[in-house]
Amino acid sequence: MAKSKQDRYEQIKRFEADLTKCMKCGFCTFWCPVYQEERIEPSVARGKNMMIRGLLAGELDYTKEYADRLNKCTLCMTCTANCPSKANIPNVIVAARADMVKARGLKFPYNIIYRWLLPRRTLFGRVIRFASWFQGIFLPKTEGTIRHLSMFLSALGKGRNIPQIAPRFLRQMVPVVNKPPGGVKATMTVGYFTGCMTDFVLPDLGKHVIDFLTRNGVEVIVPGEQGCCGAPVFLGAGDFDTGRKMADSNVKAFEGLDYVISDCATCTSALKDYPKFLADTPEREEAYAKFAGKILDISQFLVDVLKLPASAYKPSAQVKGKKITWHDPCHLSRHLGITSQPRQIIKSIPDIEYVEMPNADRCCGMAGSFSMYYYDLSKQIADKKVEAIKSTGADIVASSCPGCEIQLIDSLLRNKVPVKVMHIMELLE
Amino acid sequence: MLEKKIITQLRNVVGKDAVLTSREDLNAYSYDGTTTWTHAPDVVVLPTTAEQVSQILKLADESKIPVTPRGAGTNVSGGSIPIKGGIVLCTTRMNKILDINKTNLTATVEPGVVLQDFNIALAKQGLFYPPDPQSFLGCTIGGTVAENAGGPYCVKYGVTKQYVLGLEVVLANGYIMNLGGVTVKNRTGYELIMLFTGSEGTLGLITKITLRLIPMPPANKTMMAVFDDMAVGGQAVSNIMASGVVPAKIEFVDNFVLRRIEEMTPMGLPVDAKALLLLQADGSPAAVEAESKQIVDILKKSGAKEIKVAKDASEAAMYWKMRSAGFAATFGAAHTVMAEDVAVPRDKLVEFIRKLDEISERTGFFICYLGHAGDGNLHPSIFTDIRNKEEFARAQKAMEEIFEAALSLGGVLSGEHGIGLEKQRFLKKAMDPVALNLMRKIKTILDPNHILNPGKIWEEERV
Ligand SMILES: Cc1cc2nc3c(=O)[nH]c(=O)nc-3n(C[C@H](O)[C@H](O)[C@H](O)COP(=O)(O)OP(=O)(O)OC[C@H]3O[C@@H](n4cnc5c(N)ncnc54)[C@H](O)[C@@H]3O)c2cc1C
Repeated sequence: MAKSKQDRYEQIKRFEADLTKCMKCGFCTFWCPVYQEERIEPSVARGKNMMIRGLLAGELDYTKEYADRLNKCTLCMTCTANCPSKANIPNVIVAARADMVKARGLKFPYNIIYRWLLPRRTLFGRVIRFASWFQGIFLPKTEGTIRHLSMFLSALGKGRNIPQIAPRFLRQMVPVVNKPPGGVKATMTVGYFTGCMTDFVLPDLGKHVIDFLTRNGVEVIVPGEQGCCGAPVFLGAGDFDTGRKMADSNVKAFEGLDYVISDCATCTSALKDYPKFLADTPEREEAYAKFAGKILDISQFLVDVLKLPASAYKPSAQVKGKKITWHDPCHLSRHLGITSQPRQIIKSIPDIEYVEMPNADRCCGMAGSFSMYYYDLSKQIADKKVEAIKSTGADIVASSCPGCEIQLIDSLLRNKVPVKVMHIMELLE
Repeated sequence: MLEKKIITQLRNVVGKDAVLTSREDLNAYSYDGTTTWTHAPDVVVLPTTAEQVSQILKLADESKIPVTPRGAGTNVSGGSIPIKGGIVLCTTRMNKILDINKTNLTATVEPGVVLQDFNIALAKQGLFYPPDPQSFLGCTIGGTVAENAGGPYCVKYGVTKQYVLGLEVVLANGYIMNLGGVTVKNRTGYELIMLFTGSEGTLGLITKITLRLIPMPPANKTMMAVFDDMAVGGQAVSNIMASGVVPAKIEFVDNFVLRRIEEMTPMGLPVDAKALLLLQADGSPAAVEAESKQIVDILKKSGAKEIKVAKDASEAAMYWKMRSAGFAATFGAAHTVMAEDVAVPRDKLVEFIRKLDEISERTGFFICYLGHAGDGNLHPSIFTDIRNKEEFARAQKAMEEIFEAALSLGGVLSGEHGIGLEKQRFLKKAMDPVALNLMRKIKTILDPNHILNPGKIWEEERV
């Protein structure tokens, strides 16, 4: 009996220290973007943590309501960052999702998508391509490059403005080995983890990242075997088994490289989370820890490793003379502590004006699958971000997480705020 | 369990999404800031208007269903725990700031406005509302009025009751009653506002509050003083107060809490200090300059080992952030933390500290404390484990001795946290029996069916 209970809450038990650290002071209510909209106790870290304690005590069980309250968290970590006891409740929430999935399985269509589709990169690409044909046929183009996705992808998008699937994926556009152009000496070799969004939706961004790096003497390797980082699978849905498969193949894909860079904050953070959540054997522990040690966000790489001089950051044609503000992705700022590097880069760009927005590190409400389950709530959270962006008078809001960018594009369009959303690398020539 | 009919009626009043009934959600309203008390309600209702509150109370009164008012559930006396089940009436969605008036120096708010949100709104207009319970990031203004909360600023500026000018209260029978107004002076009849301020949700539901404000003091300075004896630190506080200068805040942190805070968030605190005083002077720049000089002088003469004057706002903010982590530092230290809230007259502070030492030695329980030294309001805490019956009983005994020590010095049972569930065992000792009886009678007049927060303040017996 005791043994089976132990197994049942295997993952939660690993984070018991976080679970018990909560003193119930309720400070997290002030910071939690979900609580700030719903203003009910089950929304906030204190309430979720007490719910999980209730589960362990045998007072609660895996019900629909339990799953709902557990899923309704963006994992933005603002609670933890401001917690006087430093209780990392998001850890406990991810672990609890994992235990629940282990006991109860995943629901359709997420089981198909997470277990079967996301781990198969080429197939995933084909399905997305297939869906994008219909996207063009059934729905007119809306503003800019934004279209309403139809078919099964719209089940994920719930009618939001989401970017068009690219006509050619990044993997089809670039070779595995990208050498610096003639006359530029290679000083370093890095692996490039492209992430699903850059690969399928924003291949031009990926191409630009590679060009920028090679021009600055970095040889860029884009292994074909790399796949999805697994964030929606193991962090969002709590499917650790599939997460491990994805982690294993990513670790393998980048073997032998000292640095692996990513232009997606969520991917970067998820890759670094492998040892924390997915290491179930000493071998994986070692392999994941080693892998996590190689992962760098692009801005961190440019500033801390490559140490580019300010003169390396020249404005791209479309940003000259513009006012630019910066949105801190949760996965970059609170998860990885990277806040100064992107600002340093932007402030180095000549011919632009940098302006800081209020609460730049407040969650935008995207949080991957969170925004699919709770689109309305996600929109409410985003509207606060839109207000903050608006208050700066900026022409461009830059970030470095394609997830955030989709959310910002959708929210700015919905609120009819003519501010352009760009990836930090797109600001650079 | 409540009848289905009641739930349907409640839904009709406030709407479907403002009535929570799942076990998961009820669990989330079963606790507050205390470590030991829990009890789930049968239903949680989140009204947005006084009219809705009125209808809910009418319904509850007719069916004699217990109603426990709740703000943010940050109190540390068991006050918002629905110990008899029934309805939790939660005000967190009544969170509009209705008016801020710079000329009258008043503000009118709904009860669910979070204190920090209020402070931010006031700061934008150069205004200041002094009562600052250290739970300001969570607690609601309704909760602070119902608890008559205080905080560090109260040395100079007083507690919540000194700021409440007007209240709208929904009575148990559903009547929406108005008290007071927006004038600072008001001599119309009994001070009924004071009856509801500090009533811990047992007399009525506060649905609107008018507060007195003051202009934001233009300057302030934070000082930190290190002592190698608690009592010497206590004497320093008395010396300062007797010298004619009233600092805005005087807070006390002991060695144990200090170490815990430094462990949780390293910030280079003097972890060898036996006691730490944190002080702040505020006012016009010239006054702050003069007062802080005088304070530093007295601290030196009173035997402070080390004195630091914060160079800038960020250093000051660091010290005060440290102070607000004190609660987490204490409550995280053991399975069961009995954190008390006694207050003694300021001139008895040293004597009280000596008595605490003596009790600690005699009972073998380590007693840690931090608190509002300038008010003589310490929070002595005993660490124990409620699961260990024998030890817990001894801990309770030791706590009783602390109460007695405070009372014998002319002190009170609770400085700011209220009686709730936590301290009712001691109420009889701490109050004149005639006054206690009068309180009961008042309760019965206002709430004849005893539906409002039943089981709180005193062990219930009808008069
Ligand atoms: C970390 C921490 C530090 C603290 N520091 C201090 C401090 O320095 N000083 C201090 O005084 N307290 C302090 N407290 C205690 C607590 O924050 C206060 O008691 C606060 O006033 C409670 O506000 P709340 O909104 O959380 O109310 P709740 O806890 O929800 O309720 C408190 C009581 O008020 C009643 N109530 C709530 N709203 C209403 C209403 N609208 N009408 C009628 N009754 C109502 C409830 O029934 C209950 O009895 C601290 C608590 C914590 C956790």
